[in-house]
Amino acid sequence: MPKLIFQHTLKLNCSFPWLICVLVNLLALNTHAQTIPTVPKQVSLSADLSVKELTISWFGGAASTFDLIILRTEFNTSVFYDTISATMNQASGRHEWKWTSAEPLECTSLSVRIRSRDGLATSEWSKMDTFPGRDLPSNNTLQMYPHDRVVEVGSNMTFCCIVKEGKTFKEMLYGNTVMNVTRLSRRSYATTLVNVEPTGVSGSNIVCRLEDLSLDGAVMFVGYPPLPSDFVCETQDLKSAECHWKEARDSHLTGGRRRTRYSVNSRNCNVDLQLTCRLPLWDGNWTLMAENSLGHYSLSDSAELIHRVRPVAPVNLSSVVNAWNATVMWQWTYESYFTLDLNCQVESTNHESKTLHVFSGVGLRSVKLSGLHPDQAYTVRVRCGHQKYFWKWGNWSQTFSFKTQTDVTDPPDVWMWMNKDRTGLVVWKPLGYQQSHGRVTGFEVTLWNPEDVEQHTQILPPNTYSVRVNLTEMASLGVNKKVFATVVVKNIKGASPPSRVPLRFIDEQPLVLSKPVFTNNRLFLFWQQNATNTCNYLVEWLDTSCEHDCPVKWIRVAAGSTNVSIESENFKPGVRYNFSLYSCPSDSPQLITRWQGYTQELVPSRSVPLSVKSQDSKVVITWGEIPLSDRRGFVLGYNVYISNGSELALLANLSSSEMRRYVVKGLSVGNYKFTVKSYTSAGEDTGSTASITLEPFTDALILEMLGALGTITILLIIVTFICYKKRNWVKKAFYPDIPEPKLPGDWSRLQGPLDVRPSPHSMVHIVEKPERDFNKETLVVIPEEEEYFEKDEPVDTDEPMSLRYYNQVVDDRPIRPRFPDSSASSASSLDSGHTDVTYTGIQTSGSSLVFQPDPQGSSEEQPPEVVLYDGGYKPQMHPKVLSDDVVLKSSNPFQESEAASSVGYKPQCSWHLDSPTDTAETSSLAPSLGSPTSVTSTQFLLPDGDGDEKNKQQPSSAAATWFSNLLLSSKP
Amino acid sequence: MADRRTRSMKNSNLSRTAVNRASMIALQLQGESSKLLELYRQKESFPADATDGRLVLVPPPSSQLDTRDKLWRLHSALLQTQSLLERAITKEEEELGGGIKGEYENQRKTVKGRLSFLLLTTGNLLKAVDGAASLTPSLEGLELDGPATLFQLKLWLLQVFSEVHHWSKAAVTTLQELLTNAADERSSTTRVRSTRSARR
Repeated sequence: MPKLIFQHTLKLNCSFPWLICVLVNLLALNTHAQTIPTVPKQVSLSADLSVKELTISWFGGAASTFDLIILRTEFNTSVFYDTISATMNQASGRHEWKWTSAEPLECTSLSVRIRSRDGLATSEWSKMDTFPGRDLPSNNTLQMYPHDRVVEVGSNMTFCCIVKEGKTFKEMLYGNTVMNVTRLSRRSYATTLVNVEPTGVSGSNIVCRLEDLSLDGAVMFVGYPPLPSDFVCETQDLKSAECHWKEARDSHLTGGRRRTRYSVNSRNCNVDLQLTCRLPLWDGNWTLMAENSLGHYSLSDSAELIHRVRPVAPVNLSSVVNAWNATVMWQWTYESYFTLDLNCQVESTNHESKTLHVFSGVGLRSVKLSGLHPDQAYTVRVRCGHQKYFWKWGNWSQTFSFKTQTDVTDPPDVWMWMNKDRTGLVVWKPLGYQQSHGRVTGFEVTLWNPEDVEQHTQILPPNTYSVRVNLTEMASLGVNKKVFATVVVKNIKGASPPSRVPLRFIDEQPLVLSKPVFTNNRLFLFWQQNATNTCNYLVEWLDTSCEHDCPVKWIRVAAGSTNVSIESENFKPGVRYNFSLYSCPSDSPQLITRWQGYTQELVPSRSVPLSVKSQDSKVVITWGEIPLSDRRGFVLGYNVYISNGSELALLANLSSSEMRRYVVKGLSVGNYKFTVKSYTSAGEDTGSTASITLEPFTDALILEMLGALGTITILLIIVTFICYKKRNWVKKAFYPDIPEPKLPGDWSRLQGPLDVRPSPHSMVHIVEKPERDFNKETLVVIPEEEEYFEKDEPVDTDEPMSLRYYNQVVDDRPIRPRFPDSSASSASSLDSGHTDVTYTGIQTSGSSLVFQPDPQGSSEEQPPEVVLYDGGYKPQMHPKVLSDDVVLKSSNPFQESEAASSVGYKPQCSWHLDSPTDTAETSSLAPSLGSPTSVTSTQFLLPDGDGDEKNKQQPSSAAATWFSNLLLSSKP
Repeated sequence: MADRRTRSMKNSNLSRTAVNRASMIALQLQGESSKLLELYRQKESFPADATDGRLVLVPPPSSQLDTRDKLWRLHSALLQTQSLLERAITKEEEELGGGIKGEYENQRKTVKGRLSFLLLTTGNLLKAVDGAASLTPSLEGLELDGPATLFQLKLWLLQVFSEVHHWSKAAVTTLQELLTNAADERSSTTRVRSTRSARR
């Protein structure tokens, strides 16, 4: 400023233009000089270390805007640089501004500089002012900051560690976690915990470790501000107030000085044991203040005294006791209760059975409890509340016990079981604690008849609950008289009223035994209501298998009832029970209905008695019934298994308990194991197993064979018989009459030379013609003259005659020459099956047969070759005859081709003339006629190998040929 | 010296059962204090090497110490340890206690009781040896300056528990030594008697 004034004085001596310029400049300079802010002076730094707040104050003149820079002194790094607005404190004339550090202010030294700002104009920076940290060399210890800090859940917290001079920092740990660290200065390191979780009572440790294993640390507590709820005040002595509340949220700050402090109406409360505060007088309005390191919370309540009475517990209980009732008395601690309108509960406990009695009255101090039972111990306790303005029940009093006086017992519940032989049991139930009314000293049982005076009385000791009776031994009671049993219980007070039961055998059996219903561990019995019955009912049950002196149990049912439920604990699982409903059980019991069933069915405890036997090729499995006591359920059926190695394969499921037989068929020879398991609704039993070995069935095989033979025999007999009966038809069908040949024209006039004498040395050759005759040998007439054979062919001369061939069917009629030639006819006759060839000698093919099958001649075009010998039979051509059979010829190409042959067979008229009477001779010539023939030979014909093989293939084709010939011959 | 040795042997023989009993108690305390230390380290997530230095001040051990002096030294150390432990528990309850008591608190209570029992036993042994009346522990140097921070308090607690463990081990060792010495003295006495009777 002085400089500026100095310049202004110099410019006054210049010329006018210069003067104007100088004036303008001076004006401008003057204007500029007026806007320059003053430099902040006397900067002062103070800190609130607990909240990491640095307070900066300075003299800043008239400026209200300042630039502020905060540096970490040692590393000269900026932690804050911004323009701030600060107002001047009118009293001190200083500007003040507060800055909150992220790190504790102890961590390292901070330097502050400020300059004033007025728009764009700024002053010079103030002199640097430093807030010293704890990392100065003069403070040469291992340190950790901040200490013992309490923060709210979810906060971020920065800790720093200042290491000793010359020591090396190693790590910072939060629990067992190594934290990321920022170096703030030469000796200071910082780490930040983000979103911290609630800690335990003793807080969490942040540990700083050096390389030399020395350590320091800080403890941090993380929790919530207090949050009380349900704040109410009430009175017990009708003068003072007792206030209660709860903590709606765990503050997690329960240790040491961090725990929440409570006060009601500014009166501190001791809450070591419970959240309660006592005030000597009833204020009517109360304010609860809860406070901890993180904050405070207040709640209010207001009420009139009479509306908040919670009575104290009655004291000094006493009683006046009778057999069936008792008077309970107590006292009040405060006399003010004598005028209080009270509602009291008296809870009496007897054998763990609790009963609550409610009484009302002003200043209530005694009540009479009724409905008690004689000779019973009772424990009572009492609590009360205000009757008109009920707020809360008061505390229960101390318990008080007493015992009621004794009385005569109730009449016992008596029933009976009678056997068929007039013996039986009189049974009664043990008296419960509510019936005995005192210690039982004994029982008195009397048998009596209403018509007689005489009675039979038995005295029985206590703990006896049945007595055996034998009516036959009591002569005075008679056989048909009505007998009653009366039971009386005695205790120290005397005898109970008598209970009676008629003694008679009830052997009625209802038609249908229905099953009881068992659900929810209870057994339910239902029956129809009988309008005429006005008596009570009695339901009796016992084990079905019991027959004599049965331990019956029973329950009595009120008249008019139609159902009863019985606890399942009275029954054993797997036991079949009979349930019987009687009416009028005390006078004349009548059986109404009966049930039979199980409360719980089990699998049978025993398996069926099993037997297996084989019957023919079948196996019959039979088994018996399981005894009733072992069934343990209704048997629903049986499963039959066959053992298949280690497994059982189900053969059959017999869903009827009555089916106890099963037949297994189709089993082969071998060893078999069968298992039969009965099953109830609970499942299968373990099963009975029996094995059987099936032997080969030889008798059946023999029988089968005999049967088959017998059947064949019968069939043969039948066929024979039919053939005999129908022999004419058979003859017609199979051996029709051969019509005589009709000779056209004049028999005596011969057209050609005719040799009427049959050749004495004719020979029939069996010509093999495979293609045409299906390889069948053809019979060839062989001449009988030996000399003929000697001349041409080597012949086996051991036999006098090589072949005898004749027709078996004696027919006097002239043989009608058949188409085709004789050789073909011979073949047909052989194939028919009606030809009998008898060989009496063996003739080798090479010597006996003049015909040799020619392989070339097996073609269809070539007819069977017929070899003609001198002086032998000569077939004669006879065109006329041939034309008569033209129809047939067209149907047989073979014959047609044969007809074309110049050597075809021609029947000779003269042949018939010579032969009729000479059977042997004629028969040797007949084969060519095609009728069923019989050929007798004294020699065996042994065809060569080829021919033999071909013969094997002939029968079917030969039969077909024969059949076709038969058809042809039957045609007109 | 001979009189003293004779008396010592006599006393040793008399208190042999008591020494054995004290040794068993010390052994129990050793296990229990070890567990307490472990529980505390776990609770506070302290490294295993987090503590060093001794709080209990007693003369250094020496082979020249006789039975009485050994017992004196042990008893004095145990007395200081007990004092430290009681103050530690009180301080911990004040500053860090509250809430539900768990396994750590129960173990702390057990160790405190066992240490008192061991002290009573060693006190009786000392009376038997020396005939001295009651012993007042020297608490010099044990005054807690008041840990400046809760973390320092926690470290101090760790030191106290370490001291309990250390002196329980020392008690076991010392008492075992006493038993061994007593046995040696007994056998040497028997040898002397047998030699004398042989000479006669």
